[in-house]
Amino acid sequence: MKRLQIAMESTTLANGLKVVIAPDSTAPVVTVGVYYKIGFRLEPQGRSGFAHLFEHMMFQGSANAPKMQHIKLINSSGGVLNGSTSYDLTNYYQAVPSNALERVLWLEADRMRALKVDDENLKNQRDVVKEEVRVNVMNQPYGGFPWLDMPPVAFRNWANAHNFYGDFADLDAADLADVQAFFNTYYVPNNAVLLVLGDVKAAEGIALAKKYFEGIPAGVMPHFADSTEPEQTEERHGFVEEKFGTLPAMAIGYLMPKRRTTDWCAMALLDQALHGGRAGRLYRDLVLEKQIAVEVDGGIDDIFGYNGPTQMTTRILHKPEFTNETALAAFDRVVREVLENGISADELEQLKVKWRSDYYATLEGGRGGYMPKYGLMHLLACFTLFDNEPQLVNTILDGFLNVTREEIQAVGRKYLRKEKRAIVFRNPVKAGLPAKAGAKEAA
Amino acid sequence: MATRTVEVATGVPELAAERAVTWPKRTKARLSNGLEVILAESHSTPKFHGELFFRSGNAAVADRTPGLAEMTATVVRTGTAKRVSRQIEEDLRRIGADLSSGAGADTSAISFAGLSEFAEPLLALVNELAREAAFPETEFERERRQKLEEVKLERTQPGFLASERLRKVLFGAHPYGEVSPSEAQVAAYKREDLQAVYRECYTPENGLLLLVGDFDAQGMLKTIEKVFGAWTGKKPEPNAGAAPANPRGRRVYLVHVPGAVQTQIVAGCHAITRKHPDWVKLGLTNSLYGGAFNSRLVMNIREDKGYTYSPRSGAHALRQHGYFSVSAAVRNDVVAASLTEMFYEMDKLRSVPVPVPELADAQNYLSGVFSMGLATQDGLLSQLSTVALNELPDDYLETYRQKVRALKPEDLLATARKYLDSANMQIVVVGDRAQIEEQAALFGEFEVYDAQGKRVD
Repeated sequence: MKRLQIAMESTTLANGLKVVIAPDSTAPVVTVGVYYKIGFRLEPQGRSGFAHLFEHMMFQGSANAPKMQHIKLINSSGGVLNGSTSYDLTNYYQAVPSNALERVLWLEADRMRALKVDDENLKNQRDVVKEEVRVNVMNQPYGGFPWLDMPPVAFRNWANAHNFYGDFADLDAADLADVQAFFNTYYVPNNAVLLVLGDVKAAEGIALAKKYFEGIPAGVMPHFADSTEPEQTEERHGFVEEKFGTLPAMAIGYLMPKRRTTDWCAMALLDQALHGGRAGRLYRDLVLEKQIAVEVDGGIDDIFGYNGPTQMTTRILHKPEFTNETALAAFDRVVREVLENGISADELEQLKVKWRSDYYATLEGGRGGYMPKYGLMHLLACFTLFDNEPQLVNTILDGFLNVTREEIQAVGRKYLRKEKRAIVFRNPVKAGLPAKAGAKEAA
Repeated sequence: MATRTVEVATGVPELAAERAVTWPKRTKARLSNGLEVILAESHSTPKFHGELFFRSGNAAVADRTPGLAEMTATVVRTGTAKRVSRQIEEDLRRIGADLSSGAGADTSAISFAGLSEFAEPLLALVNELAREAAFPETEFERERRQKLEEVKLERTQPGFLASERLRKVLFGAHPYGEVSPSEAQVAAYKREDLQAVYRECYTPENGLLLLVGDFDAQGMLKTIEKVFGAWTGKKPEPNAGAAPANPRGRRVYLVHVPGAVQTQIVAGCHAITRKHPDWVKLGLTNSLYGGAFNSRLVMNIREDKGYTYSPRSGAHALRQHGYFSVSAAVRNDVVAASLTEMFYEMDKLRSVPVPVPELADAQNYLSGVFSMGLATQDGLLSQLSTVALNELPDDYLETYRQKVRALKPEDLLATARKYLDSANMQIVVVGDRAQIEEQAALFGEFEVYDAQGKRVD
């Protein structure tokens, strides 16, 4: 078995900014990312969707690079860029020919030091974000299902349960003072990590990081609101109307064990057993054998990338001739089978090989086929900001490869319990399957 | 046009000297049975990516029924003479592999990726799927019923409805005019029809095997000869449809989706294939127009006006024909305003030479992004397949950047006049008729369809 070993060097600058350099000269391309430890989970109450709107504002101008200049300078250097907001992180990243490395570092440092935006920029990006929500959620069949539908059903703490894309009224209420306050609170160098991957030497990368970032003053370390959930003791149900789609749908989410525990590793392998593509037990049973469902997918989304309550979620679109109850009963039988009989040694061996292969694919993977080293960057950022240990990227695999059959069965019995799950039904209005009482419009 | 003046950045570090881009050596071979093989080493991760192409897709068999090559590819993975469906899926998992099979307009393909240590068993399974697929009756029946639900579902997606209508309008009765089968056509699929496609098209003479990854090319070539060497089969008869008429004059096609809270716009015209000598020029013109974040259209209707999240344009090459298109999902009340800006930016490129600094920026962009294909195994695979399937010259990857850099403002002006055919753009708008009909009708004669594709006016 050939193990992948990622070479890296890391340090912390005097202002608290963490820096990770991962050199690899395969191509004359360098990927630069800055991750801030704030996501939509802890955005301000009354400002749902703000963390994401703010991410858009980070492209609207900084002290020395006014509006459109960041984008223009990256594209005209031969590079591509983007940003994204998730539960506990917001990232900004670009891949460029390596001769543009200094320029990228200058740009990222400029917007970390001083965002410079006005009301017109905010109004513009509010409009853009609303169209983003319409194109991804409100005007799409099964838009936002289940990532926006599940949290209000599954969770009780506002941090975990609110609309992460934002209610339009909240987006409208956001003003420049909110933008500046959010920037001052969370976008301080000591709440971030800079990552440089690809065609760069380790010493050169560290020296350049110091040159461009060390002069940015440290801020007060943000206080993070409590995102813990009260203990769940009953199965929770929610109903959402599907405006466009033709198939009844449901999503079942179970609370996940705490990050980096033995249970967490076992749950990851159990997830592979249940959701691992066409060989996974759920797809095999519901789609291939019983032919109740048309689509079954899901699992643990971005297992390394969260730092608070989360779920393993199964998403099912089933044929209209079956009821929700029939589909759910079929799902339950598959889960019960694992809890009662566990999995065989042969199946576990298959799961581990696939898990290792998938892990390498994650590290190698670009994003949308255009951002080299996105996956490696993401994991290094998560292991730095959540665990202060970027080297985990080379060792974390062991925990998953050491999981036993007994641990998988035990973790299943402990976590795949009805009182630990939430179910969202999303049935088409057109097909004469009206949503039940308490129906809410998606997003 | 933009209403806000653009300020420039101050103190930006200069670019360092450009580092050389070295494309990896390609090992090419043709097995005695006619199978073309292209290999490239890439040792960044202990895995490899591969694709077995057949140079026949849905268009080649469209005279029988639409989508037949796609359905054939779907059922190919569900059973062979030696393994039932469940066995195939578990065997893939046992070696840590991913595999998919599908067909587009011009090719059918089995795509796969796996750990280098298990290269041979994965290639053996690919060989088995290509030669000994059994088309089990029950598997076929399940996939057919599954497909029926999928074709119903895709008619609820605005993006699908827009591109489907545009292709019909641009290519008419030509096979490229039909991107997906109807429910009735799927219901009428027969197992024997799939098997006939499989017999005719899945042959080594019609095939191209591409592998990129962590292996030794010479050793891999020997493995390939061992695994695929005994396979035989002829190239199918070519089946080119008559050339489609090029639609003249702007027309508007409204697809009515009651209750839509946004309008999906797409407009397009005939363009060129990738083999055409103007392809690189069109690529650069497109990245100036709407093919990059920094392009004129994105800066205008997104960053200046906030009409849309996702505007973009693209040159699309099919094997026999190509088309140019521009699209955006916009607020219902700015459909006319968005179309006006789309045409404004098109006409500006057709009438005013691009300023040299802007051209240089776009040239840097295109050549930089092109080289990123080098950084990942699947990126490299996709570059190599583009070259091979379109029969581009062997030095295409090495010379592309020079070709981009050699272009002058007058080349782009000529290209825009030829291919950003503003006067003959066919416009599709997908949305709620009551909210957008008046706005859409400003742009030409117009026709209304429902989501099922039936004309309703």
